[in-house]
Amino acid sequence: MAFISIRSLTKSYTKGKTSVTPLENLSLDVPQGEFLALMGPSGSGKTTLLNLIAGIDTPSSGQLEINGRNIADLSQRQLTQWRATHVGYIFQLYHLVPVLSAYENIELPLLLGKLTKAERRMKIQAALDLVDLSDRAHHRPAELSGGQEQRVAIARAIVHHPELLVADEPTGDLDRDSADSILTLLQQLATEHGKTIVMVTHDPKAAQAAHRTLHLEKGQLINNPRQ
Amino acid sequence: MKLLTLAFKNLTRHRLRSLLTILGVAAGMFLYTAVQTMQSSLAKATEANATDTTLVVYRENRFCPSTSRLPEHYLATIKKIRGVKEVIPIQIAVNNCGASLDVITFRGVPAETLMSYNPNIEIISGSYKDFTNRSDAALVGKNFAQRRNLSPGDKFEAVGVNVQVAGIIQSDSPQDNNVAYVHLPFLQQASRIGLGVVTQFNVRVQSSDLLKSVAAEIDQTFQADQQPTHTRPEKAFFAETAKQMIELIGFTHWLGLGAVLAVLGLVANAVLLIVRGRVKETAILQTLGFSRQAIGIIVLMEGILLGALGGLSGILGAYLFFHFRAITIGNEGLTLSLAPEPAIIFSGISVAVLLGMLASIYPAWKATSRPLIHSLSS
Ligand SMILES: Nc1ncnc2c1ncn2[C@@H]1O[C@H](COP(=O)(O)OP(=O)(O)OP(=O)(O)O)[C@@H](O)[C@H]1O
Ligand SMILES: [Mg+2]
Repeated sequence: MAFISIRSLTKSYTKGKTSVTPLENLSLDVPQGEFLALMGPSGSGKTTLLNLIAGIDTPSSGQLEINGRNIADLSQRQLTQWRATHVGYIFQLYHLVPVLSAYENIELPLLLGKLTKAERRMKIQAALDLVDLSDRAHHRPAELSGGQEQRVAIARAIVHHPELLVADEPTGDLDRDSADSILTLLQQLATEHGKTIVMVTHDPKAAQAAHRTLHLEKGQLINNPRQ
Repeated sequence: MKLLTLAFKNLTRHRLRSLLTILGVAAGMFLYTAVQTMQSSLAKATEANATDTTLVVYRENRFCPSTSRLPEHYLATIKKIRGVKEVIPIQIAVNNCGASLDVITFRGVPAETLMSYNPNIEIISGSYKDFTNRSDAALVGKNFAQRRNLSPGDKFEAVGVNVQVAGIIQSDSPQDNNVAYVHLPFLQQASRIGLGVVTQFNVRVQSSDLLKSVAAEIDQTFQADQQPTHTRPEKAFFAETAKQMIELIGFTHWLGLGAVLAVLGLVANAVLLIVRGRVKETAILQTLGFSRQAIGIIVLMEGILLGALGGLSGILGAYLFFHFRAITIGNEGLTLSLAPEPAIIFSGISVAVLLGMLASIYPAWKATSRPLIHSLSS
């Protein structure tokens, strides 16, 4: 079975009498280790889908299985725990904690577990090496470039070894060179480390870095072109 | 780095804001500690305990030392009563009977009885011999000496009485530290009360269970006399005589409560601002897998840190203030020195921590109650 298996997924928000349905009856399979790009116009439901896959939001109906587990059934509390161990989230604007160094930012997801300081240090060091920022470990976000901040954010997303990475326009705020290095890093995480990656992007060049690109429009996948 | 470190680092984001909050908490806790010090000093002076053995014999229906007059010859009669261990006649001269911060109290006592009545008096400078050798000599309590900046050899005048300091004394009985002991006949003459008249007798009984019976017997003995007496345990005497002072200090209770509420409001406001300013970041942490509980703990810790840091500085400030200023309140010739105690420091710090925590419960709940998806897209 696919790593991510989505069947008839619908998500609607109701506010008072009006209700929006950003995702309707959507089905999708993503095998393990695939780097998938999601494209589509603004408001087409990309972030909504990503948040469902990441367990930040819960579907209105349908099935959402990740690694054999139907996360649509999990309670808020269970979802939080599930995210802490299985998902790494990469934001467009990095969202590092400004008063913490790169090292401490990467440490955040590890504070939830029962690791010793030495064990944490080893994992953080490995993540820093992977994103090639060992020499910036003790810099604060304000002392890093946008590309470096995003690499720290990626290190923070992978430090606890999740199988799934989701990224919402991770290169949206970066220049071409920085964007390319981030994309190379994501490719490497998928092919060499077997991470399944779902990335939302507006940038066709970014989408080209992925194994496959899907287009969303008004909450539906409109085609399924193999790249 | 664990949650506490994270909470601490969070406070460094808005340094000025945190500093101002801590300063406000410090001011509130200073006031709180000052009030607690007054309350506990008063409680110590007025609440009887099982080891008390002192009675005070006063003129019936009199409250000020200048109006309580008893014949000195009662001494011999009191001494003969069963259960009495030691008696000392005391003439008291005071500059102000009302409640006051600058009260000066002379206690005229027979020099030879002073040490036998209270063997715990310790001469910390000067000498006892100098006291016995001069008729106008004074043994000055250490708080009194500190307040008036006196040392052995100095002369000073108050209430029309001129004395020379022979020594500075300290004792475990707080009154001793706040008064100047002089020779009884000298004070009787200097204050124009006349020889043979004293203000009160202090009586030490064999054991505390005899307090009641001995007091009753003394009063009975002099009942039909020209100068009837009213005899009470020392602390009851204090509680009934220093009424003004007790009312004043009782009132400060409300100031303490006000200080506590101010601290509570201040910290709550600060933590609420913190939480409001970090909605998005809280959502990010939740996305990373931080539970609502963990988020709540971080917020609580920030409140506790603000309370603890402010409390620590305010309480320490109050401690040092009372330690170096040695404030004494006097009323009706009785004195109460406000001494800070370690117990008050500890309870003050616990109160500060508790207030910090209480103040951040609502903000902590607020921080975690917003749906993640809304915060994330805000
Ligand atoms: N929490 C919410 N409550 C109500 N409506 C929402 C909510 N989140 C998203 N929507 C609506 O769902 C639709 C899809 O939003 P979504 O954020 O998924 O779009 P998107 O494809 O990510 O767009 P963009 O490219 O601009 O980021 C929009 O019409 C949006 O207004
Ligand atoms: Mg979006």
